Amino acid sequence: MGGSDFYFYSLFVDIKFTFIKYETISITVHISKEMMKKTISNLPLQVKGVNFSYGKKNVLRNITFSVPHASICGLLGPNGSGKTTLLGCISGIKKLESGSIFLHGKAVQMMTRKEIAREVSVVPQQTGFIFPFKVLDMVLMGKAPVKEIWETPSLADREEALGVLERLGIRELSGRTFQQISGGEKQMVLIARSLLQNTDIMLLDEPTSHLDMKNQILILDLIKKVSYENRITVLMTLHDPNLALHYCDQIILLKNGQIMSQGNTSEVMQSQKLSNVYGIEVELGITSKGTRVVVPSCWR
Amino acid sequence: MSIGVGLYSLPMEVIFELVSCKLTNRAVPSELFSPSVVFWSVRLPRAIMALLVGAVLALAGTVFQGVFRNPLVSPDILGVSAGAGFGAGLAIILVGRSALAVQSMAFIFGLAAVVAAYQIGRRSRSDSVTVLVLAGVIVTAIFTAGLSFLKYVADPYEQLPAIVFWTMGGFSDIVWKDVYWTLPVFIAGTAVLFFLRWRLDLLSLGDEEALTLGVDVKKMRVLYISASTLIVASSISTCGTIGWVGLVMPHMARLIVGPNHQFLISFASVLGAIFMLIIDTLARTISSGEIPISIMTSVIGAPFLAYLLLRQEESNF
Repeated sequence: MGGSDFYFYSLFVDIKFTFIKYETISITVHISKEMMKKTISNLPLQVKGVNFSYGKKNVLRNITFSVPHASICGLLGPNGSGKTTLLGCISGIKKLESGSIFLHGKAVQMMTRKEIAREVSVVPQQTGFIFPFKVLDMVLMGKAPVKEIWETPSLADREEALGVLERLGIRELSGRTFQQISGGEKQMVLIARSLLQNTDIMLLDEPTSHLDMKNQILILDLIKKVSYENRITVLMTLHDPNLALHYCDQIILLKNGQIMSQGNTSEVMQSQKLSNVYGIEVELGITSKGTRVVVPSCWR
Repeated sequence: MSIGVGLYSLPMEVIFELVSCKLTNRAVPSELFSPSVVFWSVRLPRAIMALLVGAVLALAGTVFQGVFRNPLVSPDILGVSAGAGFGAGLAIILVGRSALAVQSMAFIFGLAAVVAAYQIGRRSRSDSVTVLVLAGVIVTAIFTAGLSFLKYVADPYEQLPAIVFWTMGGFSDIVWKDVYWTLPVFIAGTAVLFFLRWRLDLLSLGDEEALTLGVDVKKMRVLYISASTLIVASSISTCGTIGWVGLVMPHMARLIVGPNHQFLISFASVLGAIFMLIIDTLARTISSGEIPISIMTSVIGAPFLAYLLLRQEESNF
């Protein structure tokens, strides 16, 4: 079902429903259209009944969720639960077996690579660079989706890229070689590239893996800040439930390719639900300073 | 200077005189008649061809290293040269030395070779950069065997000498006709690669990352490989197999201007052109006979590959 099909289908249901209620079709059509427009613009990312397999192995099964505008949604689950695959499906890298993914109401399957890259930027766990690119060159690559294939970055693009680095407080890295900078700095540079891509949706795959505690906090604070300031919808996979508890507005719990629970962080982050997903007893507690924490029960 | 030196020496003032005669449409003085023939018909087309071939081989090498994300590859290492050599040989046996047939067959088999090497490398379970090099060795072996078979069945008086010419590589027989035949192909291929140069940076990050940055990876890869193979095949069908330039020059250029393909593409081409002109000048001047050019490039290139392999252990290039 394409984006427009979905729109008209929903419209039809709405018309029927409101027809019975108000008995005047002309007014109800008007209301339904407005409502639909609002619904679509409020939901930058909708995933409906997505299935995906690697050969015979079902990696994702009937995944359905949506993420509200400018919120941070955490994808949690044990290793192999399908988190990274789901991000791949949303960014259009992996072809869906069935189901649909809508970016601002447009179906990913119907969009070109460029169109997807104008809606969704991806911050990978680690970049696959082979050649020692300069940090500024790495960031400038974020301009590719808005350039024709024969175009190269302009001076204005360079200024814009330097501006983004400045905002993130890492302008002095611009001339350094990407492989020479630290893990935390690399992650910040990739976030800078994603910001230059100027998309409404940002996907991050384990943004804090391989980072020490200080850098984990630094990166997640930064993600929270850019999400708030730029009104970016963030979907990120995380391993640490404590980070998710603190930084995410929404949580999706995945296990064996299925959603076990989803909703607001406080609703989802409950000991029973987490214990089910991770297969280990966990407890939620509150520190003396009032911070909520998740700890395994076996630590008692 | 390259044009001046050689068995028949042409002093600079003679060259200037010959050029000014041409420009002002004056008749060449009788004492300059022989130098005129040497200059216009032998040295100049040869020097131009050396510059062009050096530039396109270095360019194709740079593009291959970016597309395959592998600093150890070049058109000759991935079997393009062997494939194109075989194609050229096959064309000579089937239709004779028609420039169009030789170039087309060289292109088709060059392309087949690189696709085969890439597929073997991709299907291998190991993801190491050296696997692709080994795949190139396999493809090269197959096409070299094919070329040997062609030599075996070739007419020893007409076809065989023409085929042997390719395996050596060189600019000794270059005339203006060769330049005219290859120049449009070189310009077309180079223009495509030049205009698409920035996307090579993105492609070199890997397929998934390039896709998320909006690059149509499959389409771009086909464009890069086809354009590079076209210019290499055209070069091979005219000047034979000249190895190693495509591997060494991109590295030299990267050391000087860095890995950003926006600048690397042009710089590597200029470097390749200068290098080839120097090598060709040396090949025809350091001994009384002419040394085949691939011998010269191999002497420099092979140790360089050894150096790269050893350095690979330490860094990511």
